[in-house]
Amino acid sequence: MEVAALFAHPNIQPPTFATPGSGATPMRILLSLSIAAMLVAPAVAQKRAINYTEFDLPNGLHVIIHEDHATPIVAVSVMYHVGSKNEDPSRRGFAHFFEHLLFEGSANIKRGEFSKIVENAGGVLNANTSGDRTYYYEVLPSNRLELGLWLESERMLHAKVDQVGVDTQREVVKEERRQRYENQPYGTLTMEVLRRAFKEHPYQWPTIGYMEDLNAATEADYQAFYKKFYVPNNATLVLAGDLDPVQARTMAERYFGDIPRGAPVTQPTIVEAPLGGEVRDVIHDRIQLPAVVMGYRIPANGTPDFYAVELLNRVLSGGNSARMNTALKDEQQLAIYTGAFNFPFEQPGIAMLFAIANAGVEVNALETAMQREVDRLSTTPISATELAKLKVQVETEAIADNGRVAGIAGNLATAHVLLGNTELINTELDRYLSLTAEDLQRAARTYFVKDNRVVLHYLPKNQP
Amino acid sequence: MIRTRNLRSLACAGLLAPVLMNAQLDRSRPPVAGPAPVVHLGEHTSTTLSNGVHVIVVEDHKLPLVSVQLRFDIPPVHQSGMAGYVDMVGELLATGTATRTKAQIDGMVDSLGANFFATSDGVYAGALKKNLAPLMDLLTDVVQNPLFPTDELEKARTRDLSAVQQRAEDPEGIAEAVGRSVTFGPSHPYGEMHTERTIKAITRTAVEAYHRYYFRPENAYLVFVGDITAKEANDYAKKLFGKWKPAKSLVTTDEFGRTVVEGIGALVPLEKPTTPSGVRRVYGVDRPGAAQSVIRVSFPLNLIPKDIRAQQATVMNTILGGGIFNARLMQNLREKNGFTYGAYSSLEIDRFNSSLTATASVRTEVTDSAITEILLEIERLRNEPVTQAELDLAKSHMSGSFGRSMEDPKTVARFALNTELNGLSADHYKTYLSRLEGVTIEQVQDAANAFLHPDQAVILVVGDLEQRRQGLMELSMDGKGIIQLNDDGSPWEEKLTPVQGKVAEQVLETHIHAIGGREAIAPIRDLHIERQVVRGADTLSENEWFSAIEYRSILKRDGAVIEEYIHDGERVLYTDPEVTGELNDAGYEAIQLRGRVVPAMGYAKAMEWMELLGSTTLMGETVYKLRLRTAYGLTFAEYYNAESGLLVRRVDDFYYNGRQWHMTTDYNDWKGVNGVQFPHTIVEQGAPWGKSVRTIIDVEVGKPKPVTFFEVNIPEMPDLPVPPEMLPPLDIIPEDQ
Repeated sequence: MEVAALFAHPNIQPPTFATPGSGATPMRILLSLSIAAMLVAPAVAQKRAINYTEFDLPNGLHVIIHEDHATPIVAVSVMYHVGSKNEDPSRRGFAHFFEHLLFEGSANIKRGEFSKIVENAGGVLNANTSGDRTYYYEVLPSNRLELGLWLESERMLHAKVDQVGVDTQREVVKEERRQRYENQPYGTLTMEVLRRAFKEHPYQWPTIGYMEDLNAATEADYQAFYKKFYVPNNATLVLAGDLDPVQARTMAERYFGDIPRGAPVTQPTIVEAPLGGEVRDVIHDRIQLPAVVMGYRIPANGTPDFYAVELLNRVLSGGNSARMNTALKDEQQLAIYTGAFNFPFEQPGIAMLFAIANAGVEVNALETAMQREVDRLSTTPISATELAKLKVQVETEAIADNGRVAGIAGNLATAHVLLGNTELINTELDRYLSLTAEDLQRAARTYFVKDNRVVLHYLPKNQP
Repeated sequence: MIRTRNLRSLACAGLLAPVLMNAQLDRSRPPVAGPAPVVHLGEHTSTTLSNGVHVIVVEDHKLPLVSVQLRFDIPPVHQSGMAGYVDMVGELLATGTATRTKAQIDGMVDSLGANFFATSDGVYAGALKKNLAPLMDLLTDVVQNPLFPTDELEKARTRDLSAVQQRAEDPEGIAEAVGRSVTFGPSHPYGEMHTERTIKAITRTAVEAYHRYYFRPENAYLVFVGDITAKEANDYAKKLFGKWKPAKSLVTTDEFGRTVVEGIGALVPLEKPTTPSGVRRVYGVDRPGAAQSVIRVSFPLNLIPKDIRAQQATVMNTILGGGIFNARLMQNLREKNGFTYGAYSSLEIDRFNSSLTATASVRTEVTDSAITEILLEIERLRNEPVTQAELDLAKSHMSGSFGRSMEDPKTVARFALNTELNGLSADHYKTYLSRLEGVTIEQVQDAANAFLHPDQAVILVVGDLEQRRQGLMELSMDGKGIIQLNDDGSPWEEKLTPVQGKVAEQVLETHIHAIGGREAIAPIRDLHIERQVVRGADTLSENEWFSAIEYRSILKRDGAVIEEYIHDGERVLYTDPEVTGELNDAGYEAIQLRGRVVPAMGYAKAMEWMELLGSTTLMGETVYKLRLRTAYGLTFAEYYNAESGLLVRRVDDFYYNGRQWHMTTDYNDWKGVNGVQFPHTIVEQGAPWGKSVRTIIDVEVGKPKPVTFFEVNIPEMPDLPVPPEMLPPLDIIPEDQ
């Protein structure tokens, strides 16, 4: 999933308890790749079931409420079922642009006040956009639940969509594009893969879009997009944390009940034909170490084979003992970094495998070594031990993933909006656990084949 | 509107809160807050084993997960030419023990579904409770019996060398590493940079010795968090670490009284924190064609966690740029100016050496403007009290963060560990919120004055320096302009490739040929060039007349002469609104050269010395670099395009008004006039009078001026001082960086 956020969180703490005492700079791992943000654990279930209630308001707004009193905080979030795949091909980047625009204010919230209100309440806010959906959230002290509902309902009812906001945020988004994609080594990697993996489907363009499209858009275009997609019947509201579910429901009805229903929103129905042959290309970038990327077309998120491919990715790169890590990094010393993951698109998408070469390693040697590991997935079923390892990893991550109310809110929204079943927050794990070695081998034979992929070599600019 | 059924359900729940009773929803203002929830600080237990291992336990049974951290209290270590070896301790810790290979360790971690990270000051691990016992065995083995296998060290060295190489194309990575280096200095442990040279120098002896000296029970904090009881945790601690008494390192004292550890060498203690010193400096790492400039404004600080002002300084930093959207840097640079996706400041307070750093990635054209805004915001915090609204927002944010952090049981453990490591009072975190509430506007301003030093800031720009040379130079206060560094922090030097079988005279001859040849140039008499000159906010007009050997130039602002030179073939008269007089020596030489239709044609006669230094790359093209010196010592460099022969740039390094100047003059947009090429745009950067862009508006040939037009009448003014800007550029070698 290609995700762009409203703003970056500057202080990401390492997974240790103490603030670093030595201040020594850890060597920057090559995870500055924008794709690092996509290495998201699947939204799956855990033993301790996540409680929730859900219902629809008459205007079509879906509401999910989760109660947890451990900490006096609440998460208020809205997931709109609009992402870059809903964009007009001449207005690429609109969904992400709205992520910025919809913080500009509303009929009752002056420009610039939205974030001020949240921060004054001791809360945090942010938003992010993918090919499929846009997600806005606040985490607030639990006495400010109603504030969160007011803010999100203002955004849905009558957000300020005007030229002033457009002009400011267009500059900001230009800089976001430069910072996250153009001024980052390998920053263009996902967009280069996607544009070659899809010829018809809108997944071919990046969520951040193109400045020429944003420049060409008029205020009327923006208002039309807002009216079309940011409507209750295309949104899911999640309230999670230290709240009373009955009271929360009443508040949701109070703040959102009067928002008029919009015209029905339909999702694109473009079915991309099979790739029909390997696509190969060379990209010259401002990098020092060559990289190999393989993008395989895979089924939609939520389908059995999607989970099978996720486990295949894990066989390749899930932990230091995974195959690409042991073979490419430890044994052959060809790579400094390897990775494999699915883009969790709700329509058929891709899985991406990549490796960054050690200094002096030739790109073809790296590809050959990767290919050997990919081929092994088809020729030989994985062992029972290896399968068990994958499953305990998935199980542990599923539990850890539901440790915080903000995470739970996001997982609930994703399960409902993209997978069509909120209960998957508790049962999706079973889908992984039921997979067999044969399922994985069959998936490898079906999807991890040459005719079904894009292969890119990333090379330093001066290297032919 | 509230529907009846909802009222009923509310009534049933006994939740008829007054705010909900209003029939009509008032959207015009934010809903009123209910009573603030009480933030409960979780409990921890703390014990010490007989060998000195401290054990901290935080119970939290919400999820069946346990995290464990073994942390050693280690001061910053200067790595003396082996920078990277300390990190290597962490990289290698889990790559082999007396009884386990790396493959076995990795396989075990993954089979347990565990997290396991080793660093240079310990290990962090986490897993489902049911998998904790084997994970604890592994953690113990890795900490107590590591082998640091030679082959694994070589693999790690290869990876680290690759990472250093990759950093060369990672602007944010460069900014972070070089930024620390210039902030703290290379002799400070925080300022040492990992480079190819230091990574190649790492020895296994040093790695092993570091582990032996610092990974000791008396320095150890073993922290358990999660689905575990204090008793279970303490049982693990006693069983696995209670009898741990590793052999001590051989320690001696050298002639300077320093501790010498076998395998590491003399320890260089950090005697006192580095603090801001000297004046504002500007460092640059050049990345021609970069999509953005990564900018970093920082200074080291003497502020320790237990200092009462630490919290006040944190409030001050929150208002400046510490992680909230409504911070001043974010509002100014992003929301007001649209310079950036995000601008932040971070205040790192640690007990050895703190620092404040403001960062942003901005588009090239606004690089210096963005830095100016950052400095202005810093200055404003010092000079003006913050508003009550800003203070309130910062406090709300900080108390909100504190409350949210309680959701993670690791926070309580972190607090306990910080309290011990930093010598904080036992109730430091219990009183955090009440102390925060008490922070005043005056205290914030005092903290700004104590801890913000805009005139002593260390500025680093990683980006296309050429585009903003002038503006960046003007931010410098140390008289050195932009101190240019390589991506590994070493002083930048132009990389010149020797050119075989070619001398300076040939390069000049090629140039003369390229612009038309002597046959075409020689007949050009009575040339008049009119230019528009944009200098800063000024738009000036410039006229130059070239006769056989005579020359005159007049620079005007709004019709008034502000600078004039007349050369009658023998003498040069200079005039500006304040002085007029004859130019001698190097001043005369400079105008004599300038008075040539093609200056290069006069070089053979005017230069005492010239040399082709070699070839290099300038703006993506191969160029020849010439160094030239006139009889009176006017020294400068010129770059000629190796392909086209055209002059690309001239560089003058000189001292003026107490500081070093590095002036570049770029000759662009060459176009033919009567068969001779002239640069139609000339861009000067780095001059004392600022940046100027000189563009040709008109060129006339063959309209002679009367002889009197070039007449020089030297006024009767003995001992007239030469205007300072005309002083000969002295070829002063810049001080060591």
